[in-house]
Amino acid sequence: MSELIVGISDLKVSNNPTDILITYALGSCIAVAVFDPKSRVGGLLHFMLPDSSLDINKARENPAMFADTGITLLFKSCYAIGAEKKRMIVKVAGGASILDDTNFFRIGQKNITAMRKIFWRNNVLIDGEDTGDNFNRTVRLDLSNGRCFLKSSNGTIKEL
Amino acid sequence: MMIDSILKSVDVIPAFPATILKVAELLCDDDYAVADVVNVIKYDQAIAANILKISNSAYFNARQKIKTIHDAVVYLGQQQLIRAVQTAGISKIYKKGGKGYASQSKDFWEHAVTVALMSQILSRRIQAREDQILYTAALLHDVGKIIMGEYVHVMFEKIIYKVKFEKCSFLEAEEEVIGINHADLGGRIATHWNFPPEIRDAIAYHHRPDLLEERDKTNAWLVYLSDQACLMMGIDGGVDALAYSGLGEVMRYFNLKMVDLEKSFIVLWDELKKAKDLLHL
Repeated sequence: MSELIVGISDLKVSNNPTDILITYALGSCIAVAVFDPKSRVGGLLHFMLPDSSLDINKARENPAMFADTGITLLFKSCYAIGAEKKRMIVKVAGGASILDDTNFFRIGQKNITAMRKIFWRNNVLIDGEDTGDNFNRTVRLDLSNGRCFLKSSNGTIKEL
Repeated sequence: MMIDSILKSVDVIPAFPATILKVAELLCDDDYAVADVVNVIKYDQAIAANILKISNSAYFNARQKIKTIHDAVVYLGQQQLIRAVQTAGISKIYKKGGKGYASQSKDFWEHAVTVALMSQILSRRIQAREDQILYTAALLHDVGKIIMGEYVHVMFEKIIYKVKFEKCSFLEAEEEVIGINHADLGGRIATHWNFPPEIRDAIAYHHRPDLLEERDKTNAWLVYLSDQACLMMGIDGGVDALAYSGLGEVMRYFNLKMVDLEKSFIVLWDELKKAKDLLHL
């Protein structure tokens, strides 16, 4: 069994059922975990910002930094090793904000909105979601069975 | 009372590393002698080792391998040297404490360095310059947690309960449960170390710069904003995570737009890659 750690603005995919994909400390960033139960291909993305138009050169160099380029690359990378779109199970977590965050520092909300729009436009349903609020999250995707667990900085652990 | 023993521990906290103070003093003079600086650093083995490590990091753009303290002093030059010495020395302070807050002291240190890097990124954007005093304040902003950590683990459940169910900010929960918050405590440590008021205030008010009654609040607001940005990015180093009240006026104070902050996140991400050696001191 190997644990593959996904950093900030990073993504990893695998079709090795002994792998576990993990990303730590999601604040306003969002993790997108995908799994195809038939081909047993899974992937995990940890994107930081909502839109690649902010810095197109950066998006070319590192697509995983932004929601739009990151989600596209995540799906394409999974297809490349045998996944099929119609079988993919999609789970998302993160997009937290600071308390009373009304109109300042809305990166968390912007990330959530951007991600939902992308899935909506591409006819992808989100099968499990834990977003918003004001705690940090760690996401773990087990490729032996596709189960996705979430640990929050307030102490709770749950399955997405 | 817990608050009494906490305040007593401020009085017995070890002195601020003498090496940093001596180097800072020597570097105040533009005509400093390299040999004098080398002599101070080389007798502090821990700092000397850290200096070599970080002067070779991509963050300081080393073009060739720096092998001796003499090379490091010559290569880094006045401004970068003082920053390197502070980073090298302050890491020792953070490594000692913070138990109750961070799962590992490494996370605690990583947060401090990241906030210090972000403070310079924002300072460049807002004031078109870097700022050494701001760097020091940012690096030390959570120093209060070193003492607090010893007590927080006893009171941890109570604090978390308040944050979770009473929608308190972490700062309010600390005040209610312990009697003082970690920012105030950090300010007291800065006073104990005889730091200038600017640094003390930026530490003491790093969650509430709006309450600071000084004419120039720039550093306090910059430390606040850098800290919040790092918390958003998930580099929080603690159990408090995002449980702080946002102060929207910071954006007006600096005339910043959301997109300016998002761009600063990208710069920070780049600098963090280069600064790996600073994070692992």
